[in-house]
Amino acid sequence: MRLAKFVKFREEKFGAVLFETRSEKVFTLNPTATAVVREIQAGTPEADIAGRVKAGFEGNGATIEQEVGEFLSELRRKGLVED
Amino acid sequence: MTEDAGTAATTAEPESQHLGAPLYVAWQITNECNLACMHCIEESGPGKKFKDELTRAEVLAVLEQMMALEIPYLSFSGGEPMVHPDFFEMVGYVCSRGSQLKVETNGHYLTPDNCARLRDLGVKAVQVSLDGATRGTFNRIRVLGEFDRAVEGIRNLHAAGVPIEINFSPTRFNVQEIGAVVDLAHELGAYSFYTGRTMYTGNAVKAWRHLEVPDAQYATFFDTLRAKAVEYRGRMRVYFHEAGLLEELRYRLREPAALFIVLPNGLVKLINALPFVCGDLRRDSVAEVWANFQRAWRDPRVGSFVDELARDPGKTRTLHQWIQL
Repeated sequence: MRLAKFVKFREEKFGAVLFETRSEKVFTLNPTATAVVREIQAGTPEADIAGRVKAGFEGNGATIEQEVGEFLSELRRKGLVED
Repeated sequence: MTEDAGTAATTAEPESQHLGAPLYVAWQITNECNLACMHCIEESGPGKKFKDELTRAEVLAVLEQMMALEIPYLSFSGGEPMVHPDFFEMVGYVCSRGSQLKVETNGHYLTPDNCARLRDLGVKAVQVSLDGATRGTFNRIRVLGEFDRAVEGIRNLHAAGVPIEINFSPTRFNVQEIGAVVDLAHELGAYSFYTGRTMYTGNAVKAWRHLEVPDAQYATFFDTLRAKAVEYRGRMRVYFHEAGLLEELRYRLREPAALFIVLPNGLVKLINALPFVCGDLRRDSVAEVWANFQRAWRDPRVGSFVDELARDPGKTRTLHQWIQL
């Protein structure tokens, strides 16, 4: 999995933004989502992303895992990532 | 070290004040143009290059700052950007540094060689203005322009594999061709089509009696676009701004877009439809201008100007009388 060709990622103080430049849509990412995109950029296999993100955050691991799964689905649904 | 995960990983558009730099830079790299279009908001044309346009070294220095700030998306327009002597060098500089670039052109320099070059440099898209579906209409609005040459240029882009966007400016004598232009854009291989209302400023002020679109014609125009958006769903994005200028500006007063409009001389405007300048890239760093951009949008003169526009829509004719904030 990688960011789609026309998607740019920039980290910000609050997290990050994803800019889909074909539709010119901007998405704001919170820290969890930012960590997910960092892993995508690092080439982490999709199956390992939730575990790696979970390790970097305090809080309920199951909740974070669920959030990561939902976010990955959202990225795919919006065409922001490609395989 | 761990940090709190915060709320769910959802997406929403950011407020520009929370961003470290602009997300989008629309750079008018020259005011020179091979055409003298009736509606040109920049009053571009042959011999209209500004006397004080940024030099090659100044342009590259500004681009270097923009790349360091990871500005993800830029566009080069004009004037006609492809007449700029350093055009391809600038395109290559941006693309090679990882930002995405759109070129906005009248299409008259899109030879097969130039299209191949744009593809090889990696431009995100080339947007071509196509203000008519026929030679007569196009050539009337695009003074000195040639419909056939623009269409050939678009075909050359398609053959080279460069993503194509088409832009259309409505006037009272081309508005009825909107359906045919959308169809033509799709036939030519565009993935996106943009239009909105033509603004009363620049060259349009002098030609307004030939250009002004009556409300009834606009109503039909937007009805057609709605139908075309449905017809081409999934094949070509048909995007149009139906809102008037005032509505757009009032929205932007609340939610400024994270966008710089850079003029050929390095001045940075808040937005194209206002005369306010928030920095000078010949003197100020990109980061300094961005900081001032946030402050400038809150300057009471900006809100007052928008209020005055509500009383006198013709005030847009003064947009080139820049006001430094």
